[in-house]
Amino acid sequence: MTTTDPITAITAPDPDTPPISNRREALYFAVRNGKLLVGVGIVTIFLLIGIVGPFLVKSPPMEYVGQPMMPPDGEYWLGTTTFGQDVLAQFVYGVRSAFVVGVLAGGLAALIGMVIGFVAGYRGGLVDEILNMLTNVVLVIPTLAVLLIINAYLGVRSVGMQSLFIGLTSWPWVARAIRAQTFSLRSRDFVDLARLSGVRTGRIILREIAPNMSSYLFMTFILLFGSSILIASSLDFIGLGPTDGVSLGVMLNHANQWSALPLGLWWWFIPPGVAITAIVGALYVANVGLDEVFNPKLREL
Amino acid sequence: MRNRTRFLIPFVAVGLVTAACSSGGTTPSTQGSAPAPSAAAPADSKSFPRNETLYSSGTMWGPPANWNPLREWDSATGTKGLLYETLFLYDAATDKFQPWLAESGEWTGDKEYTLKLRSGITWSDGKPLTADDVKFTFELGKIETVPYHNIWTFLDSAEVVDPQTVKFTFKEARYQQWANHVYQRAIVPKHLWESVKPEEVVDYANENPVGTGPYKYHSHDQDRQAWVKRDDWWGIKALGKDVKPKYIVDIVNSSNEVAMGLLLQKGLDLSNNFLPGVANLVRGNFGVSTYYADAPYMLSANTAWLVLNTKKKPMDDPAFRKAMAYSVDTKRIVENVYGNLVKPADPTGMLPQWDKYVDKTVTGSMGFAYDPEKSKQLLADAGYKDTDGDGLINNKDGSKIDLKIIVPTGWTDWMESIRVISTSAKEVGISLTPEFPDYNALVEARSTGKFDMLINNERQLSNTPERYYDYIFNLPVQKLQNTVNFGRYENKEAWDLVGKLDATKTDDVEGMKAITSQLQKIQLEDMPVIPLWYNGLWSQVSNSVWKNWPSDAANTPKNPPTMWRNWLELGGVLVLTELQPAGA
Amino acid sequence: MRQYFGRKLLIYGLTFFVAVTVNWMIPRFMPGDPVASMVARARISDPEAVAAMQQYYSNLFGFDQPILAQYFNFWGALFAGNFGISIWAYPLPVSEVIMDAVPYSLGLLIPSILLSWFVGNWAGALAARRKILDNTVLPVGYVLTAMPYMWIAILLCWGFGVVFQVLPVAGGYSFALQPDLSWEFVWSLFQHWLLPFVSLFLVALGGWAIGMRNMIIYELEADYSNYLAALGAPHRLIRRYAFRNAVLPQITGLALQLGVLVAGALVTEIVFSYPGLGSLILKAIQNQDFFLLQGTFLFIVLGVLIANFVIDVVYVIVDPRTRAGMAGATT
Repeated sequence: MTTTDPITAITAPDPDTPPISNRREALYFAVRNGKLLVGVGIVTIFLLIGIVGPFLVKSPPMEYVGQPMMPPDGEYWLGTTTFGQDVLAQFVYGVRSAFVVGVLAGGLAALIGMVIGFVAGYRGGLVDEILNMLTNVVLVIPTLAVLLIINAYLGVRSVGMQSLFIGLTSWPWVARAIRAQTFSLRSRDFVDLARLSGVRTGRIILREIAPNMSSYLFMTFILLFGSSILIASSLDFIGLGPTDGVSLGVMLNHANQWSALPLGLWWWFIPPGVAITAIVGALYVANVGLDEVFNPKLREL
Repeated sequence: MRNRTRFLIPFVAVGLVTAACSSGGTTPSTQGSAPAPSAAAPADSKSFPRNETLYSSGTMWGPPANWNPLREWDSATGTKGLLYETLFLYDAATDKFQPWLAESGEWTGDKEYTLKLRSGITWSDGKPLTADDVKFTFELGKIETVPYHNIWTFLDSAEVVDPQTVKFTFKEARYQQWANHVYQRAIVPKHLWESVKPEEVVDYANENPVGTGPYKYHSHDQDRQAWVKRDDWWGIKALGKDVKPKYIVDIVNSSNEVAMGLLLQKGLDLSNNFLPGVANLVRGNFGVSTYYADAPYMLSANTAWLVLNTKKKPMDDPAFRKAMAYSVDTKRIVENVYGNLVKPADPTGMLPQWDKYVDKTVTGSMGFAYDPEKSKQLLADAGYKDTDGDGLINNKDGSKIDLKIIVPTGWTDWMESIRVISTSAKEVGISLTPEFPDYNALVEARSTGKFDMLINNERQLSNTPERYYDYIFNLPVQKLQNTVNFGRYENKEAWDLVGKLDATKTDDVEGMKAITSQLQKIQLEDMPVIPLWYNGLWSQVSNSVWKNWPSDAANTPKNPPTMWRNWLELGGVLVLTELQPAGA
Repeated sequence: MRQYFGRKLLIYGLTFFVAVTVNWMIPRFMPGDPVASMVARARISDPEAVAAMQQYYSNLFGFDQPILAQYFNFWGALFAGNFGISIWAYPLPVSEVIMDAVPYSLGLLIPSILLSWFVGNWAGALAARRKILDNTVLPVGYVLTAMPYMWIAILLCWGFGVVFQVLPVAGGYSFALQPDLSWEFVWSLFQHWLLPFVSLFLVALGGWAIGMRNMIIYELEADYSNYLAALGAPHRLIRRYAFRNAVLPQITGLALQLGVLVAGALVTEIVFSYPGLGSLILKAIQNQDFFLLQGTFLFIVLGVLIANFVIDVVYVIVDPRTRAGMAGATT
């Protein structure tokens, strides 16, 4: 059995090597892992922008504050839009909403994926059959197409709702991977021991199985975090984003709709793309770094 | 296994080579054949020679799917105007009717109108146009689903007197509306259309259209409609005019941005799209021009109204509506949202073309403008106070006012505009939230009266202000209000005045003015709808292939440069006869 | 083998059923009434005419029937290849509108998916555990794979279409041409195809390269590799074995990524106004044309299912273990 997940390319914990229980050792490798440091560094910078930025900008993101179509200058660091909105203000709010979508949608997807994966893997039998079938069905349906339909018809117009639907559709591969892991863990001695001593299923999963793959779970969450941001930005770009706020995808949508390309307003569509790419890319790189920290085999020679 | 994995290798190699070719090989080779239709395209029938072709866009939002002139809202661009023609043209700039298919038409009695057709006009299948075709076209209106069905509420009969003459007899003489119909109804050939079943007439796709106009169908595809010039068009002899482009290719809109890109790449000669920021291109040296060289750049096409639901509190109170009118910062919308591509509307909402019908003494004393202080004052005087201390005014009974203003989602300029309106409403203490339902939901809310405020601009420029007053005051209020009086405003006196206006002869300008003055008084006193700005007749032209486009400069045509539906008979088709090849 | 495929087909069948049902259900819960909006667009004010038209369209679209009958009719119509009539392109049937767009989408998707897969895997395999190469492939790969599809499309569109003006920015072929088999037309098709293709290719490329690189590293650390190394096998041989083992999950990955790739193609087409399914979906959304949206959605689902099945077959051919044991379906 190949334990490498094909989509994510992160390696699952090998059941034969005990997970790193020694936190010191993990920390030792973590601070020496260049990929992890760079990735976490970049994400942290953007996180700070998202948290602090909105308090520092002078105006709400949608307000017309300056001359329209001004290139970046001392007053508006990222210039203004066709309406005279401050691109920087939109940018910092956009970064914030990217993190919100990432946490909410990524978290929800991770949660659903874990529950289904654990239950299916631990229970086996008919429950597994049904859950596995469900997973496979959702896995095959093209997610964005479903989201398009739902958003278009139900008029999902807030960041929260958007996250909800993204979370509801992007869990299947997680469920599949966790199910496989649980499968191999459930016949281990310590699980048997717990079962014999009458511990309830939920407890066994929470206390015995989950901790043994905590690093893996964390890495899945990071990947879901990144992919949720990408999916949300695609939806926003098509015009199915939040209408009451601003996000990086909405910025791209507006820039595109208001002819920023032919008019040469590059400061309007370059920054949001850079931010998305940087955040998602940094998350992925950090993830590889984490993988190397937790999985000694992968460390640089 | 050895063999199986190896088979991947050559694929990879081929892939790399292909990728290398495709990314590296393009830059030099595209120099020769520019992405935009190149001027030197060979004259084979499969392609359109650039110097004989007019490329336009801005009219169709979907693939051309029908050539039925009764479907004035979604037929292929040019179906009415290029292919089918009307009896008259109407020139809004000079307020004159120009006989087109008709040679003349006049009221020969109180309730009788006699129409004479030009002789020598043939359909593109060679059959002559006769009075029978005209009678047939108007009688199609007897079918309920035909859009001009309501003509038969005042028309009694149409009789063929001789092959060139039709006599219309009326139950009621509605001069204004009738004048509207004679230049808006496209005449269709009886010999081909009489076989269409009545219930299918409106849905008739008419794939092999036969018309009288200067162009005939050439071809179409998902994203374009192509017309080719008819060499035996009647106008060549009768008017001494001819349309200049041999081909017209109208491109289906995909987005503003694409249209602007095509215009800049000289792939488009006439763009009737709303192109935000086009003012920059006009002022800069990009080879793009508009009707006016300066703001507002465009002719005005229609009025954007703020429609208030007069059946709901507090919009049922004229004082509240007036306060609302004073609160709107139209200048901000005009400058920031539209970049000065539109003009703020007159307090009456009458288009600039109808300026002579505006009673300046009425607007001088009763007109309104953006004035938050005055707005607050009006609210306070009418008894709207902030009784719960949240900074926003309450209803007279103390209940909260929490209003919503809606425009369809995706209509980006309007979405921005209502954000501005809601911000300025908040400044005077009115809680007004912008919302963006989908178009269907909005239409439903609008026609059933389940809304607070919305923006609408569906009534277009026409020969008579009567059409605007019909839009504002039309009675009775139906269960569904689909096209007029969305705010469900009821004023019997005003509606009677509109009827009187309708019954005034079109050349009796003084008589019309006397009535419009009274209507304007009612309008400004009661404020059933609030005029905001005049939407432009979006029109950007490139001089690279065709020149002599209409503009306000001396010695240029003054017709509306547009391919929009229902605008060709307002003189749009004449633009084509005035064009000159840029090379010549 | 029969059991393996039987199981797969069952899943695909079930997926299709769910997709169709969801598809049928959602529009019926949405706000707004498409018939009302069609009537409103027709600008008819006369109440009788409004009623007549409403009646007519409701009939045409089948809204006047009981809900269960509508559902069964929906299935019946599906099997007859009838997706209804497009509101946006009225009165064209949806199937016709879709069929016009499909060649463009496939023309983009198939080459970009296959080429990016091959090139990406090759680059990733080459880079793994080779310091210098790895240090270039890895960052480039991560940047590419983290880029939103529409953003790279916007950048290319801006660069080549607006700044350098060397490539067209919209449409499937030049507006000056009519479809035929001339060189001129094919060249025009190619020019319009190039930028959307490159956008899709680049983003997907990054993902495959990284996936392959990580997989190879894992394989190189596996016991059999160490064993081979201990036996003194040449480095090249070990890498070749590693590659063979690493390619298998990449094939599965291809199946799993199809949905994402299709999604990428949709937004890319929108940026370039490329006349494929993506642009169609946008039009359908903007015009509330739910027959078209449903038709397109079903078509995409069907396409992805078929592609999945093809990949299953390929997997069986490539992987001897599946052929022998057919146990692959359970884990």
